[in-house]
Amino acid sequence: MTLGLYTAGDSWLHRLFPITKLIFSLSAIAIIFGGPNKWLSAILPGVISILILWSAGIAWRALKLIVQLLTPIAVILFIVHGFFGPANHQILMRLGPFVLGQEGLMYASLIVVRLVSTLASSLLLVTSTHPGSLIQALEQTGLSRKLVYLLGSPLLLLPQMARRIQTIRSAQQSRGLETQGNLLQRIKALFPLVAPLVFSALVDVEERSLALEVRGFSAPTPKTNLTEIPDTTKQQVLRWGMIVIAVCFLVFEFWRKRNGYD
Amino acid sequence: MVMIEVTGLTYYYPLSHTPALKEINLQIEAGQFVAVIGANGAGKSTLCLVLSGLIPTLFNGRMLGNVTINSMNTRNHTPGEFAGRVGLVLQNPTNQISEMRYTVFEEVAFGLENLGVSPSEMPERIEHVLRLTGLIDLRDRSPFTLSGGQRQRLALASMLVLDPPVLVLDEPTAMLDPQGSREVFHIIQTLTTKNTTVVITEHNLEWIAQTADRVIALNKGSIVLDGNPEFVLTSPLLETFGIDYLRYTQAARESQIYGLWPSQTPLPVTLEQSVLGFNRVSSIKKGGG
Ligand SMILES: Nc1ncnc2c1ncn2[C@@H]1O[C@H](COP(=O)(O)OP(=O)(O)OP(=O)(O)O)[C@@H](O)[C@H]1O
Ligand SMILES: [Mg+2]
Repeated sequence: MTLGLYTAGDSWLHRLFPITKLIFSLSAIAIIFGGPNKWLSAILPGVISILILWSAGIAWRALKLIVQLLTPIAVILFIVHGFFGPANHQILMRLGPFVLGQEGLMYASLIVVRLVSTLASSLLLVTSTHPGSLIQALEQTGLSRKLVYLLGSPLLLLPQMARRIQTIRSAQQSRGLETQGNLLQRIKALFPLVAPLVFSALVDVEERSLALEVRGFSAPTPKTNLTEIPDTTKQQVLRWGMIVIAVCFLVFEFWRKRNGYD
Repeated sequence: MVMIEVTGLTYYYPLSHTPALKEINLQIEAGQFVAVIGANGAGKSTLCLVLSGLIPTLFNGRMLGNVTINSMNTRNHTPGEFAGRVGLVLQNPTNQISEMRYTVFEEVAFGLENLGVSPSEMPERIEHVLRLTGLIDLRDRSPFTLSGGQRQRLALASMLVLDPPVLVLDEPTAMLDPQGSREVFHIIQTLTTKNTTVVITEHNLEWIAQTADRVIALNKGSIVLDGNPEFVLTSPLLETFGIDYLRYTQAARESQIYGLWPSQTPLPVTLEQSVLGFNRVSSIKKGGG
């Protein structure tokens, strides 16, 4: 069964200590946006992520998600920057009154590649790690439970929201509200969807926090764990390695920029 | 021994000018089984939050008066400190899943982990409550794949595993079918043998009549009736508070008008009492006629 984006499995990637995957994603994102050589820094982490996902047997699902999520954004970016990019100079094509510029197109491509890479490296963590395991691993590192919950709850809220949207949608469809049709119709239909969603989400958040409290979520006692998620020295070394690499890349790029190499 | 003591309690939710609870005074003995009844909006859920120590600390409303649970004043202790001493089961089971654990088994462990119970002690305690709640075969399932009734039993198991001396239940069977309700009732009934103090809001008056030591009726935030089930559930005032009579009581009330219920006999709240009463009338009639 899937909880949000998580895909159950037993690959080596699934078995990694969640923090190792988290550090990978964070390092990758740091390099994508702050590394030297824009294009290489943008592409490489994405390619590595996809290869890793592929070796764990969950690349297809990730790719599908990337395409689904990014296609609309990519189209908009290409149109906006391709036709109206402020830096457009080299003209590639004319479409009636509109001019397609190379600079804008390149710029849009860079953003799209960065987004694809970011999403791929995040999906590496999210699709192979149950939110519960990530949270427990964060707890094991000694972070306070409240902080962990704060960090983890967006992850937990997403699938919950998705479930609720589905419920409200089908309820409203059965009452004859449009959730299909053209864009305008769908946007109009969104309002009656959003109000109950927000309201019920607020009530739920309150109830959920009550339920957590009575189960000792903020009890002043030291916590224990039924099971420990195993970590290894190798992974510890790997994590530090990834952090060092990311920091080196960022520092190098910073130094390059300061000395005017661009 | 008094387990819960409420004195002069009035509670206003934030931004509200009418109190959700009004001048409540209440003492609950350890081991007592108390049912709270009342129409929608009467204040049952609010009372549950008060009696489990979540109001006032977790709510921004205004509370007058004092509540002590096991001699701990709820103004001076956080819900975290009450965890393990007071349990609370809410109506919506989905919101009681922590979403922080993977399987039913781990979900039940969550509270024990929070309270620092030693991991070696956990499996036995968890298996015990899973067996009690009939969830043992689902131990490795994800809580999200459970049905509503199973989730409700999971919520109950997650609370029972902490073995709290006080257990507050707010409509724990609201989402269950008759069979599911019976199962939950049965589990709750086993608590009475363990000297757990139970406060429950529940619409099934028939079960309350059979099980509760004491029934409290709320109306617009005030306690209007308080006594044993026979007294409260047959009170002539009950219907003015928007609470329906049990069908046995209702049948006897209607029959009384036609002299078909013995005048000296209190109104029945169980099938047995009702059979006894109607039998007596028919034997009197036979004897007299
Ligand atoms: N969070 C809140 N903020 C403001 N007012 C509230 C809140 N929760 C409940 N109330 C109000 O307090 C009063 C008592 O509500 P409560 O939920 O305790 O009633 P109840 O007896 O549990 O009703 P029901 O049978 O519908 O569950 C109601 O008038 C209600 O509108
Ligand atoms: Mg209620």
